[in-house]
Amino acid sequence: MSEDRKTQVLILDDEPIVWKRVKPALEKAGYEVEAFSQSSNAMRRVGEKDFDVVVTDLKMEGIDGMAFLTEVKKRSPRTEVIVITGFATMETAKESFQKGVFDFLAKPFKRGELLEIVKKAEAKVRQKEEK
Amino acid sequence: MTVFDKLKKIFSPGKRHRRQVPFVVLFKTFQGLLEKNNKILDAIAAMGDKLGGDYVFDKNYIVSSCQEMRDLVYKLIYDLDTIAPSKYLGLYDAFQRINHEIEEELAGRPVIAQADCVIPFETISRDSGDVVGGKIANLAEVHNILGLPAPEGFVITTTAFKAFMEYNKIWDRIREQPFTVKAGQEVRALVEQGSLPPDLKRALQKTIEQLQPAAGDKKLLLAIRSSAWGEDGIHTFAGQFKSFLNQPVEKLVQAYKEVIGSAYSPSAIEYRRSKGISEDEVAMAVGCQLTIDAKVSGVLYTLDPTTPERDVMVINAVWGLGMPLVSGQVPGDRYLLNRTPPHEVEGLNVRHKVSMLAPKEGGGTEELSVPEELQMKPCLEREEMLRLAELALVIERYFKKPQDIEWALDKKNQFIILQTRPLNLQTQMANLVCNLTETVQEYPVIFRGQGNIAQRGVGAGQVVIVKDDEDMEDFPAGAILVGKYTSPRLAKAVPKASGILTDVGSPTGHMATIAREFRVPTIVNVGEATKILRPGQEITVDAEENVVYDGRVKELCYYEFTEEPFEESYEYRLISRVLKKIAPLNLLNPHDKNFAPEGCRTFHDITRFVHEKAVEELLDLEFHERSMGAPAKKLKLSIPLGLVVIDMGGGLEESAEGPEVEPDQVISLPLKATLDGMISPGMWSTEPVSVDLGSFMSSLTRTFSSSLATPKYLGQNLAMISKEYMNLSLRLGYHFNIIDAYISDKVNDNYAYFRFLGGVTDLQRRSRRARLLAELLEAHDFRVDVRGDLVVGRIKKLDTARMLLKMKTLGHLVAFTRQLDVTMTSDAEVENSKETFDRLTAGAIPERN
Repeated sequence: MSEDRKTQVLILDDEPIVWKRVKPALEKAGYEVEAFSQSSNAMRRVGEKDFDVVVTDLKMEGIDGMAFLTEVKKRSPRTEVIVITGFATMETAKESFQKGVFDFLAKPFKRGELLEIVKKAEAKVRQKEEK
Repeated sequence: MTVFDKLKKIFSPGKRHRRQVPFVVLFKTFQGLLEKNNKILDAIAAMGDKLGGDYVFDKNYIVSSCQEMRDLVYKLIYDLDTIAPSKYLGLYDAFQRINHEIEEELAGRPVIAQADCVIPFETISRDSGDVVGGKIANLAEVHNILGLPAPEGFVITTTAFKAFMEYNKIWDRIREQPFTVKAGQEVRALVEQGSLPPDLKRALQKTIEQLQPAAGDKKLLLAIRSSAWGEDGIHTFAGQFKSFLNQPVEKLVQAYKEVIGSAYSPSAIEYRRSKGISEDEVAMAVGCQLTIDAKVSGVLYTLDPTTPERDVMVINAVWGLGMPLVSGQVPGDRYLLNRTPPHEVEGLNVRHKVSMLAPKEGGGTEELSVPEELQMKPCLEREEMLRLAELALVIERYFKKPQDIEWALDKKNQFIILQTRPLNLQTQMANLVCNLTETVQEYPVIFRGQGNIAQRGVGAGQVVIVKDDEDMEDFPAGAILVGKYTSPRLAKAVPKASGILTDVGSPTGHMATIAREFRVPTIVNVGEATKILRPGQEITVDAEENVVYDGRVKELCYYEFTEEPFEESYEYRLISRVLKKIAPLNLLNPHDKNFAPEGCRTFHDITRFVHEKAVEELLDLEFHERSMGAPAKKLKLSIPLGLVVIDMGGGLEESAEGPEVEPDQVISLPLKATLDGMISPGMWSTEPVSVDLGSFMSSLTRTFSSSLATPKYLGQNLAMISKEYMNLSLRLGYHFNIIDAYISDKVNDNYAYFRFLGGVTDLQRRSRRARLLAELLEAHDFRVDVRGDLVVGRIKKLDTARMLLKMKTLGHLVAFTRQLDVTMTSDAEVENSKETFDRLTAGAIPERN
């Protein structure tokens, strides 16, 4: 993490319990985190601000995770996207999103596991910046 | 090719006789049943793991796990039905019943057991909130789980409330819309005129009689307080409802009606309207507590809400009863204490106290004047403040929020907790933790990511390194317990600890269970905590992120306060509720009457029952008449094992005819090696183990017969074998042991699976035995999983020779540990046994690879 600016993370999951449990872990690790359960709000937010890392569910009630993540990549190609999704949809998720997605994590996951992936994504973002 | 395919091949057609179901089908079914059995047990354990807080999961996970479990259990029952057609049809009913309850839970319709109208405090469990109301539920947890003193008494439940409203036909009036203040007035009048349903009257009478001895030869006097559904949870309803002090029994009914009537006071109706709570959600339980003849009473906030950054707690105190203070009539003394032990006094504001409220003999209260010498004296001595502070922090640590506690100091100088509820400091807290990251980075990290989280949370305190045999009575409150093992002996100190670290241990072991019970942040298996940490060192255990900091990171503790405790989240509550229908094992003893489909209360019960019966069926003579072609033979052994062998092909020499078979006629590779291990010299101890009185009593309470080796038990051992395969089900003493193994020259197919569960004697000895087993298995390269006293060891993909050595070791273990739980009287015994085992195996196993 650079000294001057915290790494910006956005989490989108329609199950609030997911980001409620993830947000503190990321915050304590030094990230600035914004969390959303509605894609429309999250969508608006990515229009206003570039995030370094976006963590999103794919299959959500009334929300198209795919559309969201496509939009994120379109607006800000440097942003790394991590997909968290139910175990059952994992394979489909991997097939359809291999391009552009930094990594996948099946729910339920341990908080440490997500933290590790976010760290790697952050490193990649930083690396790109240095080039 | 899987083991299955191989077995199918072995049982290729050609051996058919006049049985109804071909043996090959039966065996295949049995094999499938065993597989499902293991899968179900693993799935139960995996769901249980989610309670630890390490995992992030959502409702979808709970739903799909239940679905998976349901399918497996249903298929398991179906398998048993194939083996024993129509013999256990009751299982389908049991399945339907349990499954229905789970589905109701998942659909958001919690199955509240039809509760009694009156429940004594001591029998209230953690999930009784719905029937006893929030206030009493909190208090009952403080008393029944944390073991802190609270008044004796009983609660008139929400069930009684509903019965009362029903009996007096008041519901209809309540359901009329809109519900105005005037309607409230009418309801209050109806309640006032109402009479108690006969059942409720009887139950009250009985409970009061049972409570009388607690008052001794004095008149029974009660404090009667509201405990509405949801009160002291998210909504506090502070001061909305009526309560009465020191009421004689004759006035109980009148007081009860006034308390429930107060649920329809204008202010209560207004409060509900502002919070969006509908009128038919109202359910009022009423707590009846024995009057405490208080010398001093008061209120304690574990964190001063006006200046949370000062990190002090506030105590307000008055002489006598606390009512004038609570209702704000008098200010009382005000003491500020540092939250950190030794809780230095940071502010002392002693008021001039001229009058006090005291219970009147015969009932009611009276105002007395305070004797002159007490008027300017602080109500609490320094030592008393200290005791109170420690009690309060035990409660705060448990509920994971700053608490607002009503307390009394009785004439015997004992503190009694009258009420506790969370202080809502969310906004104040948020300011304190806004620069969390920067602050936290100032503290050196001692451990990060080492060990496993057994109970999440954050705790700070001084390190106390405990020895296994130390007396835990003196463990200082608020300290961090650091130990080598997760010994059950440490259990006593758990409620007092701010956090727990152990060098070794499993997050699913006994200690973890206790830590979870008391919600003490716990990381086990840290490695070298006892070596690296110094006694007295101040540390912060962040069992959320698995980090241990040097120093007291107050910001982290505050951060915890701002979060919704995981235990309070909907998902946590949901998974714990469905797990209750899944995980507990009630069917312990196959000789119990209860050991029947009707006795099954959980999926685990069904699974246990099916497994037991399936093995029994295969051992059954009739069964073998039905399924000729795979005759059961008794193995003649030098040890009294009573093992029945079913050869599915190539497991026994062809010369092995007749009902009995000699050990040297066994060809099956895994069985041969296991037997070798069992009969190794010294392993199968022939000395009768004396059962001491403690374990004898323990065995009685678990309704087992006291003899360790009745013939009935000896008949329960079965090996299904082929040349390369063995499935061994053993019931030795009182534990269940399964070994499943396949060994051939194809290294990649080789595996061995060892499962060990149950046993006479108390949990402490059983978990010692589990630890011993785990350590021995690990020493022999098995991958080991311990959950409570269940031990599973797995190993695979070794070459034939090494696999056979492992099987021999398992044979040693089976023989060696068959009665060990009885001898595990101390932790030292674990080490002794390990040495003995190593000594015995040193001669028997040529070399460790």
